[in-house]
Amino acid sequence: MKDKKKKAVSVIARSIYVIALLVIWECVARSGILGPRSSLIFPSLEQIGEAFIKNFVKGYAGTSLWIYIANSMKLLLTGLFIGVVLAFILSGLSMVSYVFFKIYDLTVSVFDLLPGIALLPVVIIIFGVREEVIVFLVVHAVLWPMSRNMLDGFNATPRIYVEAGKNMGLKGAGLIFGVYLPAAASYIVSGLKSGWARAWRGLISAEMIFGIASSPGIGLFINQMRTNMNNAEMYATLLVIIIIGVIVQYGILRPIEINTVRKWGMTK
Amino acid sequence: MKKNLLKTIITFGTALSLCACTGNTGAGTTDVPAAQSGSSSPAEINIAYQYGLAYAPLIVCKEKGLIEEAYKAATGSEVTVTWTQMSSGADINTGIAAGSLDVGFMGVAPAISGVAKNVGYRIFTNLSGQEHGMMTSSADINSIADLAGSNEQIALVNIGSIQHIILGKALADNGYDAHLLDANIVAMKHPDGMAALESGNVSCHLTSSPYIFKEHENTALHEIKEVNAAWPVENSFIVGVASTDLHDSQPELYKALCSGISSSIDFLNSNFDEVAAMTSEYDGNTPEAELEYLKKGVYTVDTKEIFTLATFMSENGFIETSFSSYSDLVFDNVKGN
Amino acid sequence: MSKDALLQIRDLTKIYKDDNSDKTVLKSLDLDVEKSEFLCILGPSGCGKSTLLRCIAGFEDYSGTVSVDGSIRREPGIDRFMVFQDFNQLFPWKTVINNVAYPLGLNLKASKAEIKERAMEALKKVGLDNCGDQYPHQLSGGMKQRVAIAKALALRSPIILMDEPFAALDAMTRSGLQKEMISISESEKNTIIFITHNIQEALILGTRILVFGQQGHILFDGKNPMQRPVTPASEGYGALWEELHHALYEGSLKRSDTD
Repeated sequence: MKDKKKKAVSVIARSIYVIALLVIWECVARSGILGPRSSLIFPSLEQIGEAFIKNFVKGYAGTSLWIYIANSMKLLLTGLFIGVVLAFILSGLSMVSYVFFKIYDLTVSVFDLLPGIALLPVVIIIFGVREEVIVFLVVHAVLWPMSRNMLDGFNATPRIYVEAGKNMGLKGAGLIFGVYLPAAASYIVSGLKSGWARAWRGLISAEMIFGIASSPGIGLFINQMRTNMNNAEMYATLLVIIIIGVIVQYGILRPIEINTVRKWGMTK
Repeated sequence: MKKNLLKTIITFGTALSLCACTGNTGAGTTDVPAAQSGSSSPAEINIAYQYGLAYAPLIVCKEKGLIEEAYKAATGSEVTVTWTQMSSGADINTGIAAGSLDVGFMGVAPAISGVAKNVGYRIFTNLSGQEHGMMTSSADINSIADLAGSNEQIALVNIGSIQHIILGKALADNGYDAHLLDANIVAMKHPDGMAALESGNVSCHLTSSPYIFKEHENTALHEIKEVNAAWPVENSFIVGVASTDLHDSQPELYKALCSGISSSIDFLNSNFDEVAAMTSEYDGNTPEAELEYLKKGVYTVDTKEIFTLATFMSENGFIETSFSSYSDLVFDNVKGN
Repeated sequence: MSKDALLQIRDLTKIYKDDNSDKTVLKSLDLDVEKSEFLCILGPSGCGKSTLLRCIAGFEDYSGTVSVDGSIRREPGIDRFMVFQDFNQLFPWKTVINNVAYPLGLNLKASKAEIKERAMEALKKVGLDNCGDQYPHQLSGGMKQRVAIAKALALRSPIILMDEPFAALDAMTRSGLQKEMISISESEKNTIIFITHNIQEALILGTRILVFGQQGHILFDGKNPMQRPVTPASEGYGALWEELHHALYEGSLKRSDTD
């Protein structure tokens, strides 16, 4: 009963918040305080709505936004998959070898600080001008925060779980899979969350700087809209980015969290 | 105590975000501080330009205060000129549309797009023409015909940039569809494109001065001549745009602007050595190289072939509007075609 | 000392090495524990009783030997199963039944159904057969300790090591669990080594009672002559209580001498 009430309050509060933001936007757009060219630089919701549909139906130069989204998602998912698997393997190895841990810990600390975009020239020299560059940048965006979280999670594993595991005959890899990994679940979930957000952002900004027209992505689309002063279309694309982000957040990451750490009572 | 702290933080945050909202949209360097207050509405003009050799006359104009001088000579009063360096024509377009910029200098293609989009400006001067060209490292590619239908990658600065449109024009001039090679494009900045070409990661790079000269010096590369022919050095490359507000409501200031730019170009054309010494540091070249590159450009206030370009752009779908005459693009005082 | 005792500890010494000083926690300890014995160890804190259990379980390095059925054990193994004082010894990511079944699956070559059945059987013995699908965070402290005991029962570990497992429980729950431990040890015949600091608990549970002084020095070692169920009214309760209390007191006294 109480939970239901809480949920209703949160839904209402959020709705009011979103509606208020939209109303403010619309007021600014219609008031003309941004000058006579307001509709060009600060389009109204109606214009953005039309542009939203136009992006998918007409697209740019005959290519629908769907194609751009599909390309971006393909690269994103490939990068996320590689990044997460690598994070599991490398962080796992760090639990087996102390020397490896020390080296990997340093690596994570250093690379976590570097913005992927700054690495672009180096990456182009290594990979050439191919989609793999974008995949690499997504891997870069997800691997380090994910590893940092996993290493922290492993190190924060209560000694009692480790001893209980040893007590029932676990050692080596068995101990990592049977105890360290599940014990670090809440760290891994938050690593996934921040890794996903960084990967999504990193992908868009990489595509904005480095656009491969043969596999055009959302970032390139935004850049094209910007270059052509199609601001309504640009905002509509930002909306698409937000919608995809929210779908992943609430459609994938939330259920993962609810079915693991929340169900296990490992988080409040 | 805690509540008060929270209040302070919130107040600060709100104030900060308000500042950010009302601030200048261009995140660039501002060379002259805000206009001095006190005097009754002093004349003010905000000008945005971009990086590189092609903007050299503007450095002269800025350093020598030629707009200020022209305005003083005409009206006897002062004008505050604010120069802002921005990184793309699109940003300058937004700045002018928002009313925070009066004047901008950019490639002729974004300027035509801006006029077509009714950003609220027209071209008030030509600034410079520069060398463009496409270099390749592949022995198999010697002409546009060799590229047509291939999947060789072409690096250029951006889709919708003047370089992209020059590629389209080169294709059209040789009987191909202007968008035939669109899928081969890889958008990256000039220096990145040069690195990608020289390291063999792309087969072609369509670029402009001074990168094209640097690539000419590399004997492993050769040029695809049709691209240069599609938009030779005499044709307009960088133009200046001014808001219709400035033109209509401040004619004295508008005149001083045109005259200042014109004097700068005249000065450059007769003092290349002095200007090269002035700009070499900005552009990161030695004074000798800067002089050589500068001299290869063409600097005049008269536009060349911009109506042809605008017609080409609308016929080939680069812009959605079409223009009926040259005078749709420029203010009355501008000469050229 | 009998040669055929189930658990034989010989000359066990454990020194905690610090940066500047070494601390001897256990010194040349010899101990035999017979099969089916319920051994309660009493002692002041810091006497090394917990350390002894951790050495037997294989969690610590030490000099000397621990052998089960005549063969030396150094690593942890399911023949000596530890029930910790900490309620959080269950894996929160597994349901109750899976917490019991998981170690079985690791150590037993049997079908899933068999394992599940055996885990269920063990849960029934501790009265939790209807909680199998719950997660540990949904259980009370006493229930969690029952599940931990069920793990040992399911594994049929010959030796169960219990390190003050009921110390953090309320009196009612503790008394209930003590009764269950007695019936389990009588029916399952496991050997149980049970650490406590509570004389009454030792008297109620133990068939044999030890009192440790400093460095694992054995101050008292004797069979508990009383018939179960032991209550304060049982014959000899008072005298034995006095004796244990005296031994304990002497142990603490000795400690304050050496301090």
